[in-house]
Amino acid sequence: MNATDFAFDPALYGLPTRAQLRALRIWDLHYHGFNNATDEGPHQRMMVFAERLGIERVVSLDIGGSRTDPLESSPFEAVQRRILEKQKDKVSGMVRIEPSDPDGSCRKMEEWIKNGPCVGIKYAGFNRDGITCSHRNNDPIIRLARELGAMVYIHTWMKIGGQPRRPGGGNLAGESTPADVVELAKRFPDVNLICGHSGGDWELGTRTVRQQKNVFFEFAGSDPHSGAVDHAVRELGIDRIVWGGHGPSRSYATELSKVLDADLTDTQQAQIFGGNARRLAQPIFARKGYRMSP
Amino acid sequence: MNRRCFLQQTLSTAAVLTAAARAQTSNSPAAPPAPSAAEAPALIDTNIHLFDWPFRRLKYSRTADLVAKLRRHRVREAWSGSFEALLTKDVSGVNARLAEECRGHPGFLIPIGTVNPAWPDWEEDLRRCHEVHRMPGIRLYPRYHGLAVNDPEMIRLLRLATERGLLVQIALELEDPRVHHPVLQLPPLDVGTIAQGLKAVPAARVQLLDCTFSFQLPIVQPLLDLANVTFDFSSFESVGILDRLLNEKAGGRGTPIAPERLLFGSHAPYFPVEAALLRLFESPLTRSQLEPLMAGNARRLLSAVSTAP
Repeated sequence: MNATDFAFDPALYGLPTRAQLRALRIWDLHYHGFNNATDEGPHQRMMVFAERLGIERVVSLDIGGSRTDPLESSPFEAVQRRILEKQKDKVSGMVRIEPSDPDGSCRKMEEWIKNGPCVGIKYAGFNRDGITCSHRNNDPIIRLARELGAMVYIHTWMKIGGQPRRPGGGNLAGESTPADVVELAKRFPDVNLICGHSGGDWELGTRTVRQQKNVFFEFAGSDPHSGAVDHAVRELGIDRIVWGGHGPSRSYATELSKVLDADLTDTQQAQIFGGNARRLAQPIFARKGYRMSP
Repeated sequence: MNRRCFLQQTLSTAAVLTAAARAQTSNSPAAPPAPSAAEAPALIDTNIHLFDWPFRRLKYSRTADLVAKLRRHRVREAWSGSFEALLTKDVSGVNARLAEECRGHPGFLIPIGTVNPAWPDWEEDLRRCHEVHRMPGIRLYPRYHGLAVNDPEMIRLLRLATERGLLVQIALELEDPRVHHPVLQLPPLDVGTIAQGLKAVPAARVQLLDCTFSFQLPIVQPLLDLANVTFDFSSFESVGILDRLLNEKAGGRGTPIAPERLLFGSHAPYFPVEAALLRLFESPLTRSQLEPLMAGNARRLLSAVSTAP
């Protein structure tokens, strides 16, 4: 069987066909095909599935450095750079920054975004000194992101834990919550920030960010909950929701289903699956001369 | 090992699918044409619930809406538990309401009652499920009911259900514990105690639902060694997971999982029906691999159980 063949027609099962998925122009803003990798094999294999499911573009959140230290150089960086340049019509990259080291983070952004192929920055769920995104350390990082027109993705969760048990009480040190994103967004009202993972708990996440219009919402990396996207559209508006796949650890089936479950027109689905992401990416793509139709 | 660790382990290079490479390099220039609508098999959904999830109003909580939704996705039969079973003490009432609701959709909704061995006289609930409501199986919630699968009372329940020829479904993780309501504190998911309990009743016909552990890990091998245990794949995660399990490796022995062990289950209406359904299409599986997962294995599993005393 070829990678794009299907044993049964998905349409017979109330699912979009591959042609329909392609027509939605899906941008996967949460791609982990480079995560923990030491060669390009995992990425190549992931791209087979992206192709099978009609994904137009993947945006890696793991460019440069290592998983434990995003600012240390690694031999894999050369491979990543080559892929980003060679496959620039399908693959984009964001660099992971380290809020414990704002200067080092800005140097990495200069290297990879201003003078390199990347289009944005990513805050991970942990860092060296336990600094969340609301900390003042982040101001020079966000200022530079604004200057470069770079996209800003922030991992957020509100894990239940602590004493007394509460949302966020189980977070790792330095793991931001949607409230951290809102605090940062208030200091930079002219910078769009992506609140990743919907804060883990989308019911609380939407409540937290709904008043802050420069905060976007992304659902990847959590279980698929029927009705979640409907709820987010009602509370935030359809133009503030972007989509990510979170593969390979999450199934594309999981992440696609969250949007397909919602009561949306094809146009609205396309807006969430890719239109809003392209709007966020437009400034940096234009600056770099990357091709992109809206 | 917690859920997050399991997910992170699936990020390993090995986890990213040599199946993809197999599909990519396949040279089948003349793939057979996709079957017509008449040839495409309908689905049996082995894992749905009726009524209200205790912590949120679900989009398809109304039975009529859920049935219509399932039918739109070519589901022709759905094995239905009740969300009321999680926290309600009057289990007899829960099962009676479930049976009544399913009677409104005969042949489509198959009621799967519950028994809580932590409550007094649970044996009567088991009897009623079988003899009064003529249910083909029961669904257990050991974590919500506060009894481990290897608890002596749970093992006695497994034995009695088996003597009656009933299917036993065991729901493991209905909701990610990271997003539980703060007042809810369930015991952790422990694969070892589950395997230990099931091993004590080898004749039991058991299906595990909502399995969030990684089937690539050796820790799952004790469950895979129990040939009488099957799984729904509603909570299986990672890109191309079904292809990898069926064609590459699972558990500690690193051999593929037998296809007859896997059944379609959506965990609707908590999950979108599309999530499990898309897993069937995400992986480049053949017709002969898909048909047992879609319905054949479920049909066989239920045909072997007793629906009448």
